Amino acid sequence: MRFPTRPTACFLVIFFVSAAPARAASLFGQEWEKFFKERVTFGGFVENTAGLSVAAGDSRFTTSNRFIMERLTFQPEFNFDFDERLKLFISWRFVKEPRYNKEARDRRRNVPPLPPLENTFYDEDSPKPWELVWDIKPTDELSLRFGRQFISWGETDGLRLLDVINPQDGTFTPPAAANLFSLDETRVPQWGLRASYRLFPASQTALEFIALPGFDERKKRVDEAAPTAGRWAPHPEKRIALGRLFTTPLPGTFAVVPSIERVFPDAGDNWKLGGRITHTVGKLNFGLGYIWGYNPQAGDLTFKFLGASAVGATTVARLRLFNDRTSIFAAHFNYALEELITAVKGEVAFYPSKPYNISKYPGPAGFKAGPHPRHPDGITEKNTLRYSLGFDRAAFIPFLHPDDPWRAFSFSLQLFQSIIFDHEDGIRAFSTAEKIKTVSTSITFRVSTGYLGDTILPDVFLGYDPEGYWLANPALSYVPPWNERIRLSLIAALYGGRNKFKSFGSFAEKDSLFLKMRYQF
Amino acid sequence: MGWSPGLLAMNLAINELRLTVYGLFVALALLLLGPATPAAQDLKPGETIGPHNWERVKGMVGENLLERIKKGYGFKISEPTTYRPLREYVEATKKYAGRVRLGSDGELLNYVAGLPFPRIDPEDPQAGLQVAWNFYWRWRGDDYKAGGGTEIGRVIRYAIEKDGSERRADFVSYFLFPRTRVTLDPKPVIPGYEHIDSLQLRVDSYPRDSAGTALLEIRYADPKRPDDLYLYIPSLRRIRRATTTLRCQTLAPGEYNLDDINFFNGKILDFNYKLLGEKRVLTIYAQKNVPYQRKKGDYLPLQESWEVRDVYVLEITPKDPAYCTSRRILWIDKVTWEPARGMTWDRKGEYWKEMALFHFPAKLADGQVVWQEGTGYFVNVQNGRSTVLTTSRLYNQGYPPSLFTLDMMQKITRGGDVE
Repeated sequence: MRFPTRPTACFLVIFFVSAAPARAASLFGQEWEKFFKERVTFGGFVENTAGLSVAAGDSRFTTSNRFIMERLTFQPEFNFDFDERLKLFISWRFVKEPRYNKEARDRRRNVPPLPPLENTFYDEDSPKPWELVWDIKPTDELSLRFGRQFISWGETDGLRLLDVINPQDGTFTPPAAANLFSLDETRVPQWGLRASYRLFPASQTALEFIALPGFDERKKRVDEAAPTAGRWAPHPEKRIALGRLFTTPLPGTFAVVPSIERVFPDAGDNWKLGGRITHTVGKLNFGLGYIWGYNPQAGDLTFKFLGASAVGATTVARLRLFNDRTSIFAAHFNYALEELITAVKGEVAFYPSKPYNISKYPGPAGFKAGPHPRHPDGITEKNTLRYSLGFDRAAFIPFLHPDDPWRAFSFSLQLFQSIIFDHEDGIRAFSTAEKIKTVSTSITFRVSTGYLGDTILPDVFLGYDPEGYWLANPALSYVPPWNERIRLSLIAALYGGRNKFKSFGSFAEKDSLFLKMRYQF
Repeated sequence: MGWSPGLLAMNLAINELRLTVYGLFVALALLLLGPATPAAQDLKPGETIGPHNWERVKGMVGENLLERIKKGYGFKISEPTTYRPLREYVEATKKYAGRVRLGSDGELLNYVAGLPFPRIDPEDPQAGLQVAWNFYWRWRGDDYKAGGGTEIGRVIRYAIEKDGSERRADFVSYFLFPRTRVTLDPKPVIPGYEHIDSLQLRVDSYPRDSAGTALLEIRYADPKRPDDLYLYIPSLRRIRRATTTLRCQTLAPGEYNLDDINFFNGKILDFNYKLLGEKRVLTIYAQKNVPYQRKKGDYLPLQESWEVRDVYVLEITPKDPAYCTSRRILWIDKVTWEPARGMTWDRKGEYWKEMALFHFPAKLADGQVVWQEGTGYFVNVQNGRSTVLTTSRLYNQGYPPSLFTLDMMQKITRGGDVE
């Protein structure tokens, strides 16, 4: 077992020992003891998440994979306050999941003649720090942050729009389950620089520049999703989603197995650059910026069809990810409508020449799809505008709060829309072959409050696609009144819709229930 | 130490207000202060108060505390502690107070720095409003770090349940008063900040999941303009805007709301004020232990001595009939203008919360001794929950305005220091 690895363990032991004053004095002397006592803080958490699938599913959905998660996470965090102009934050993330061999065996039995899907598990056991940031303040106005870090722009909650600077690893969780794993737990940190210069503090005017050279492992430079493969794929047993766009071109075969090749940019060709200015006018706070090196989210992945070959009665389609890099013109704002007790927030992202997969439907000779006459390579580029508009409001509902009528409910309503200019028929999501209309819409709603002195914390996150899809992600947390370090959460991730190959509906057969137990230290 | 209120007043008059006419008025007023109740006059240093003699402190403590005394809580009476207003603050008061006026809506006109109304005439129909403005602009340094004076450098907060179980949560809070500065340069105003009364950056530091949550609150000089409030949420790594008009919402797990902070943090013009009078009350102004010792699960201090202080009794009633309290009473110390005790009644007129704040002497960098917040508590007498906070401050740290920015909030790490 490599958890934790030897250098990490040594490092941790040194810090644990040095954090204990009596021992530190003997090991490092008084100066070190003083330094660790006054300048170093230590925190973190241990968490166990267990998940059960609750939906009956179809005939291929066996009980073997009802037990869908057993994940132990340990995250130690250190702050070093060297000087008022120099600070260091460093954390490690260790995650371990036991292997479920029975699941693979059942799949092998259930879906012949396809080979069993690879069982993928979420392990983090690298000695490399999860986050390592040096904060340097050469002047009061200028601050620099170097290191492996998270950079998040925008205003939205639960779903991402401008928050695409850090990639997100969606291969090990149900999608859009904001109450199960927060964005912070699914983002992947990146090495880079974030510099900001506060021009006029009174008006919150600041310039920001980011540069991420792509030093990270290639798989961690871009979003990862599991639409068709792996344990967290929505339909691993059937594998019918991916490949519909290129319905088997070979005669006599009845299924398409995608063989995806994701060509990652070379290290020197993987820069992400961005800049923005933020400012406040009256009650309006806003930012304008630009990001180059866009990191496409799961739904944006565009693939090139390279060819197909037959393996028995199966077609293996070879595909290559097309669009790892592009650019975004970005804007975001927030505004307080005090009279309505509502904060309005919004984001805008304009993607010039954003690539989409395009085919002709139906295809020739009875095939579902075929080459598009104007786009024989299966890709077209369209200017695309995405925006979100959100409303956050707090309100009293006394009859729902008999113990404290002044404990507010927090409501958040968000609208997301994506508009494709000069839209053409045949533009479809690659992974599911579902149509992407000129205007796509999603709506989210969140409500949360606290009971009994915030020892009982309900939080419900809902998503709705007007085309008929929905998700519900309710959570109920308990923080015992006698120990602030413990938190227990019961969380459901429920999905539905008329077509399970689109939007939230793709997880319709993976309704699941999770228990999280967290201890903070 | 060891000065009676009368001698304290004389001392004040001699030392700080020597050449001013209104200073003499203040000294005379304090000298002539009669005890509010016969009990106050009788209380002697060294005397013990408890269930056997609770009547002696009736009217000098809150109703809830009086009930606790009847049921067994006890303490000793000590000699009153002498405090002198900060020299620069007194000078600013002398320099600027003469021109301060109240506008037609009750707003403060021509105010620059110092105490706006050093002379309070109880017969003046606007005395209550003047006391409220004095409370608003009491000396709190040109900036301060709440929690900076505790051993761990943070505000230590306990949420206590009715059954005695308790949870801890720590935070630090940085305040900057950019347009009323009397000590730090530039004085009296930082250029560009003429329109801002105060900036607050609050950062949660414990437990880990809330650590790094930051709040930036901007209060504007225009008394009718709502505060700006931004929250940095570490689990999102983003800043969220929030409104401040819902000022009654419980800031759980504490038992206080936005307007309960410092016992009254409301927008001055949103309320009506009535000076009910002056009285002598019991409080702790030389807190020995910070935080004070207490029985686990209880909010009352142990091993501390209480002393008699002179206060203004200010009644605050909301202009908005939908507001959560029907009435708030503040006991405001006549020397420090700090709150000694606060009491609120809910909309039905039933007793709701009782709050007390204790102090101790602290030395500034230039050697001047000032009063310093120690520990305070909030008790919700209706649901039995309470909150104990030790907020000991560090004054005049020279925080730059750039500390109070959205950009700064995004650089806060979990458990990290922002200074």
